[in-house]
Amino acid sequence: MARSMWRGAIQFGLVTIPVKLYLATESTSIGFNMLHADCLNRIQMKIYCPHHDEVVPRSDTVRGYEWSKGRYVVMTDAEMDAVPLKTVRAIEIEMFVDAKREAHEAQFVKQAYYLEPDPMGAKAFELLRQVLAEQGKTAICKIVLKDREQLAALNPYDNTMLLTTLHWPDEVRSHTELNLPTAEITVKPAERAMAEQLIASMTGEFSPADYRDDYRAALMSVIEAKVGGEEPVPAQRVEPTRIGDLMAALEASVAAAREARRSAAEPAADAATPTSETADADQRPARRRRSA
Amino acid sequence: MATEQLPLPVAPRAPTGGAPARRLPERIFPMLPTEVASPFDDPDYLFEAWWPGARAIASCEGGVLRLQVAGLADAGAAFPELATLPAQLAEDGTMLDGTLLILDPDGRPDADLLRQRLAGAGRPGRPAYVASDLLWAGGQSVRLNAFRVRRAWLEAILEPGDRATVGRGYRGDGTLLAEALASMGVDGLSARHLGARYRSGPAGDAWLRAPIVPAEPRPRPTLALILRLPLGE
Repeated sequence: MARSMWRGAIQFGLVTIPVKLYLATESTSIGFNMLHADCLNRIQMKIYCPHHDEVVPRSDTVRGYEWSKGRYVVMTDAEMDAVPLKTVRAIEIEMFVDAKREAHEAQFVKQAYYLEPDPMGAKAFELLRQVLAEQGKTAICKIVLKDREQLAALNPYDNTMLLTTLHWPDEVRSHTELNLPTAEITVKPAERAMAEQLIASMTGEFSPADYRDDYRAALMSVIEAKVGGEEPVPAQRVEPTRIGDLMAALEASVAAAREARRSAAEPAADAATPTSETADADQRPARRRRSA
Repeated sequence: MATEQLPLPVAPRAPTGGAPARRLPERIFPMLPTEVASPFDDPDYLFEAWWPGARAIASCEGGVLRLQVAGLADAGAAFPELATLPAQLAEDGTMLDGTLLILDPDGRPDADLLRQRLAGAGRPGRPAYVASDLLWAGGQSVRLNAFRVRRAWLEAILEPGDRATVGRGYRGDGTLLAEALASMGVDGLSARHLGARYRSGPAGDAWLRAPIVPAEPRPRPTLALILRLPLGE
């Protein structure tokens, strides 16, 4: 696996578990470079100062915080490093919550990291992981990453643990201004039953391996075709529909209707299963033709 | 069950062995269905979907298809995709009674697309032909045979293809088929008497059409939904 991007320790109570953090996800989106349309040379981004009308080297820049319009206070690297934070180089566990109850508040997630214990912390790491898993708990913790203190959730994940950074509550926008359905909207029982049936019929086990980024694949195939000097193949046209499909749909529909009748009739007439055509027909509604 | 597909009463063979083939009539006066109030069950009837399409008599002679659609001088020109229909037939000199459909990209019959076709406004959608009855085969009229026999010959002669097929028929269980069709948004049921011969003009008891009231107003249910939704009792 790639290099760890952070090294520190999980801390709770008197326990310290040295760990490393690895990015759990990577972006697979296709990156483009900005070129000069004329010569196809790569554009360079220069840092420019409008006051001196000159390009500034990165080493001549400092961090400024705009505390009032056009007025800045400069923060040096030394001052940044000296910011008093208990959580520096530590994953400080604040509390444990039920994994299920916590889920609602932890929906605004940023980034997931895998944890790897240092050899000397392996036993405590495994102990924490097992207890979290058995008790169904999530640890809420704070960690400083990229100059920022982050709120995070720590969950057991397979044989490691997953640290998921969360947005702070004040970063989450309110949804109360949206135009949302109110309780006044009434739903007919039949509509609810239909929706429940539809959801039940589409309920299954989520298996992420079944899902792909189709846009990325399509874009990549266009790029590869251009690299190979070929014109991109236009997207496959939808296979024309066949009359046999309609007949198959009809057969499925009839089978469903028959099944619905069977299950409706079962509680009443379990014993009397009609075998012959006539017995079958006798149970059905009377002949009503020629009544128009 | 009474709803099984109609079994073949005879071995598939040329229905008119020996007799000299005759030319098909240019146009015929087709059988006209009798309207009834509602779907019913009757083992003497074969029930089929009344698809939202156009009644069409398909004549295949010398490998060439001719379509007779009410109010249309040359229907074949509007449906060039169906020109391969004769290749699906085991017999030349054959005349079929059936329904012309236009399928939308989801495979559903679309009456609006059909109207556009018939009006000569382009060729949207994909045409299909669902055959229900056999009038002529091998250059001989079979209209005096019972529908039971004509239907069996039809199924023996017409090889199902992507564009043309014999419609699914269900014997006896009209109300069951009506329930299934209601869930698909089809509003009519066809019932042909198995013992009746083909009559030109009003059919009497030989061919009935029953309206199907949809269980709930669902403007255009998708096929996926149709396959999943429970059928209302």
